[in-house]
Amino acid sequence: MQKILLVGKPNSGKSLLFNQLTGLRQKVANFPGVTVELKSGVFKAYRHTANPQSGQVLDAKQQFELIDYPGTYSLKSWSKDEAIAIEQLLAAMSDEKTSVILCNLDATRMERSLVFALQVQQISKQHNKTVVFTLNMVDELLRFNHNLDTIKLSEKLGSPVYAVSAKTLIGISDLQKGLSKIAISPQEYRVKPTDINQQSFATAAKILAKEFAIPADVVLKRQNTIDRFLLNSVFGGIAFLLIMFFLFQSIFTWAAPLMDATEDAIGFLAGVVSGLLGEGLVNDFMTDAVFGGLGSFLVFVPQIMILTLIIGLLEDSGYLARAALICHKPLSFFGLSGRSFIPYLSGHACAIPAILAARTIESPRKRFVTMLTVPLMSCSARLPVYALLIAVLVPDVSYLGGWVNLQGAMFFVLYLSGILTALIVSSVLNKMTEGSEELQDMPFILELPSYRLPHWQPLFYRVVNSGIQFVKRAGPIIFVVSLIIWTLGYFPNNGDLQNSYLSAIGQWIEPVFTPLGLDWRYGVAILVSFLARELLVGVLGTMFSMQNADDNIAGLAANLEADGLSLASGVALLGFYVIALQCVATVATLKSELGKSRYAWGAFLAYGVLAYLVSMLLYMVLS
Amino acid sequence: MTVWDIPSKQSASIKSLCTAMHADVAIRLQEMGFEEGQLITCIKRTAFNGPTVIQLGDCIYSLEQSVANHVNVSAL
Ligand SMILES: Nc1nc2c(ncn2[C@@H]2O[C@H](COP(=O)(O)OP(=O)(O)OP(=O)(O)O)[C@@H](O)[C@H]2O)c(=O)[nH]1
Ligand SMILES: [Mg+2]
Repeated sequence: MQKILLVGKPNSGKSLLFNQLTGLRQKVANFPGVTVELKSGVFKAYRHTANPQSGQVLDAKQQFELIDYPGTYSLKSWSKDEAIAIEQLLAAMSDEKTSVILCNLDATRMERSLVFALQVQQISKQHNKTVVFTLNMVDELLRFNHNLDTIKLSEKLGSPVYAVSAKTLIGISDLQKGLSKIAISPQEYRVKPTDINQQSFATAAKILAKEFAIPADVVLKRQNTIDRFLLNSVFGGIAFLLIMFFLFQSIFTWAAPLMDATEDAIGFLAGVVSGLLGEGLVNDFMTDAVFGGLGSFLVFVPQIMILTLIIGLLEDSGYLARAALICHKPLSFFGLSGRSFIPYLSGHACAIPAILAARTIESPRKRFVTMLTVPLMSCSARLPVYALLIAVLVPDVSYLGGWVNLQGAMFFVLYLSGILTALIVSSVLNKMTEGSEELQDMPFILELPSYRLPHWQPLFYRVVNSGIQFVKRAGPIIFVVSLIIWTLGYFPNNGDLQNSYLSAIGQWIEPVFTPLGLDWRYGVAILVSFLARELLVGVLGTMFSMQNADDNIAGLAANLEADGLSLASGVALLGFYVIALQCVATVATLKSELGKSRYAWGAFLAYGVLAYLVSMLLYMVLS
Repeated sequence: MTVWDIPSKQSASIKSLCTAMHADVAIRLQEMGFEEGQLITCIKRTAFNGPTVIQLGDCIYSLEQSVANHVNVSAL
């Protein structure tokens, strides 16, 4: 398949444009450096030709591989890692399979975009490739009543120019038609000679921007006003803390009604199914393993979705870059960069994309430290565990007219504990890597993007998808493990858990968990949850609904409370989950990103031991 | 005078990049448009000597102290 390369400045909207042209859904966010790997999709080019004899219109289709590149400011690299990316890009530009280079410019930041665009054009010319320019974000220009003369600009640049908005779809269908024609016969659209100064693209860009672009001060006026407020020493700090508190509080309080509704629905369904089945083995299996195990985990889907929604809103708004800036100084005390804030924040949804996001940290050393500590962020797989134990241990009371909820505040404390642990571990790692040849230090330089309103449709999709992915990822394994646990717990005495095979196995491992004040049932659940954290909830759900066969089925929290889980043991258990790295996929990602498996397994072991010690200490202090 | 010394809402023009700067960093800055004669306006100084926020052409950048004090400027 022939290739089309999509390149451009960071945060110019390449990935959103890519999504519109291919129908895929790559990650888009208002922050420079979102795309860190090449992503390809298929662009279908259509050609309409009329058959001269019959007059019939023929539709010819040809597929092209469209490749979305990470954003770059230039074709010269400044770090070893970027050098690799740029080498790849240069190799692709000279590849004979490449038919067109689609260079995307941010129409609201045209001068800077043009410098890169001219470099791309120059190299394309050397390799005899065709360049097409897209000026993205014209919707923003229209707000200021600024019209772009694309015809004239295209004459000046000697290559086709399309004004588009990947967000509001202005000009996208023209681009599709135009790109189809160009991709099918690129030789007809080669770069034409121009009188652009080949010596200094900076000067050329300045002149072109002056003629065609909207004046920078007009676009930046609002942004700078907001920044003067949000970066203010006093208000900025308060705003930052409020936003973070709101984030964690809302995960709990907004989700509560939705969670109750889900729980009721599952309970209702379980009642109906159980009524239909009549007494017996199948009924026991359905109520305990399926509704008890899987059901108690499904309750958390709304929380995951709300978390995704809030992180998505922050990502779209442009605030993340400001947060990174505000955090830079405090984070540097711990050997991290302001840019570490982004992986840390998205690590609260899932560590895997967060570890990948750490690639944009310029300093190899800070990147290393960030990657190794991201797994300490309380990811969404820990959420069910936290929520369950909080519901058991903390009373549900509200203050300040419902704005602050004690259970919600406890959530905040747990998330904070994860972050604090990460900061401490970072300082240690920072000391350990001091003077390392391999890991150099690079300073903090960040472009601040414009503030933007959220793009609702992809955000909605992302929120729904996060729920689906959560179920898909953990659902099957929870189902299988629940099934195994149920079978081992049910036999040989038909549902008598305390005298089952499972309990026999459990007694073996119980001594390990006695120092935490936990009995064998928790021990089994903890061990199994090294496969995936959510399993704790599923496995406990199965075991406890076997014990309390007649009680309400999905109400696992109530069951644990009735069973008498003590505060000390509960807190010890929470402490364990805050720290332990119980996720096979994270270990694998660390291994591939750090290139050495000893770091990944080292982290796994170290966090496991630390978690155990901390939780033992918590139990000793509290009991 | 360096970029680090420009007070909020004031402008200056770039004179040179300090030779003591790491070569890789200098390249990055050049690519971002830090070239002789360009106008820099400080948008906001942040608390506790945090990164300074500046406008250069049509972009807004934030630079930490160790970079900002390696870009020489002359007051207008
Ligand atoms: N208003 C407006 N916003 C847009 C448009 N295209 C993209 N955006 C927004 O611009 C931001 C950056 O979009 P991305 O597609 O992630 O940019 P990118 O060029 O892939 O960025 P990197 O991968 O970081 O290089 C997002 O917040 C988008 O929603 C557009 O046409 N109009
Ligand atoms: Mg992208």
